[in-house]
Amino acid sequence: MRRLLILLTLVLLVGSTWMAFTLGEVVAVENNITVEKNIVYVHVPNAICASLCFVVLLVAGIGYLWTNKPMWDYIGAASAEVGFVFATVLNATGSIFARPFWQTWWTPSPRLISSAVLWFLCVAYLILRTSIQNPQRRARICAVFGIIAFLDVPMLFLSARVMQDMHIANVKFESAWQGAAFGLSTVSILLLALLLVWLKVDILKNKARLESELTY
Amino acid sequence: MNYFFESLWAIFAKDIVTELRSKQVLPTMIVLGMLIVWVMRIVSEAASLSTMMMGPAVLWIAFLFSGLLAQERSFSTEEQEDCISGLLLAPVDPGTIYIAKLLVNIVMLCVFEAVVVPMVFLTFELSIGGKWFEFMGVLLLGNIGISSIGTLFSAMIQLSRVRGALLSILVLVVLMPMMIPAIFALLFLFGVIPEEVAGTGFLALAGSLKTSVGYLVAFDVVFTVACWLLFGFVVQE
Repeated sequence: MRRLLILLTLVLLVGSTWMAFTLGEVVAVENNITVEKNIVYVHVPNAICASLCFVVLLVAGIGYLWTNKPMWDYIGAASAEVGFVFATVLNATGSIFARPFWQTWWTPSPRLISSAVLWFLCVAYLILRTSIQNPQRRARICAVFGIIAFLDVPMLFLSARVMQDMHIANVKFESAWQGAAFGLSTVSILLLALLLVWLKVDILKNKARLESELTY
Repeated sequence: MNYFFESLWAIFAKDIVTELRSKQVLPTMIVLGMLIVWVMRIVSEAASLSTMMMGPAVLWIAFLFSGLLAQERSFSTEEQEDCISGLLLAPVDPGTIYIAKLLVNIVMLCVFEAVVVPMVFLTFELSIGGKWFEFMGVLLLGNIGISSIGTLFSAMIQLSRVRGALLSILVLVVLMPMMIPAIFALLFLFGVIPEEVAGTGFLALAGSLKTSVGYLVAFDVVFTVACWLLFGFVVQE
């Protein structure tokens, strides 16, 4: 089952990357200047994944506090770690593309602030996780922090909106094929995120099992 | 309901009395706040920045960092002689403990503000122009937001090894969204951004004093209620 998912993800990733490189430039109008934005194939799916990880964090947090099953804790921890990876890629690709188009690496613009805080929230979650020893207590505290972190995201989107926006609102696809390539890359990156969460959950589960066997 | 207020008062008074007797944190907070203000004043002069622009930002930075000291104290003092077990064994709802600790932190920050705000006004040559009531309101709203998050997180990290550093990371990340409207609210109050200009030009989305205050109220309500509900899970053994 997992091998199949790995294979499917790989095929889709390679396919969508090939389409992104061959289908020509995606055009976006920004401050009345038309610029090419092929970044959209990587950047936007990453943003979607990073945001989804926070939804999973909320669900896992509530699930753990409700049922006390360690599985929820593993899912929460895995999604925070995967969210960290995707938020890193999101900020890095954004920064690399911002430099040639806006002549700056980073600027306090709403979406940039939001993605930076997403990254910091993931880092804070992971640091918090390493600093507590007792597994039950760690799971509980992390579940609570996951819920608070999720609540922080809409508040963040609301408050960041008051800053001056440099980020473009949307891009225009030249052909239906480009739209299809975008859809395909979104699906492939979502599958990649799912796969990573799955693997991490397994790692955490086995680690907990080994630790409990060692203490006896 | 009566029982709630009685137990709330008991925990609140206990914490205030311990702080008054030991004088452990409040002096440190005030000195840290004064140092932040003083350093920022020198920096703003060196960088030739407008003091009217810097003042509100410095106020919030001083509150944030000094607030951390008060919040860390909330539960680190309970850990000595295992007081926290006694507190949790007492027949009170954990929510009550949270509200009492929150009130203590708010009061500590208010006392701190009473000293540091005049200092900021003097060193940054700010003038409020009679809007004292609104100014105090905005400060109090910010105060509640900072304390509500800080009190919960202080309980969360009570058994970890790197307590102070961890608390500052968690609190600063989660409070970041609140800082933008908080600073805008003060900029409007000090007249740095005139109300007429708001909503035009590059301030197209900046909102007004009303929207900033509305945001602060929403932030306070959301996080105080969430923290109050989640506190029970944090202290559960």
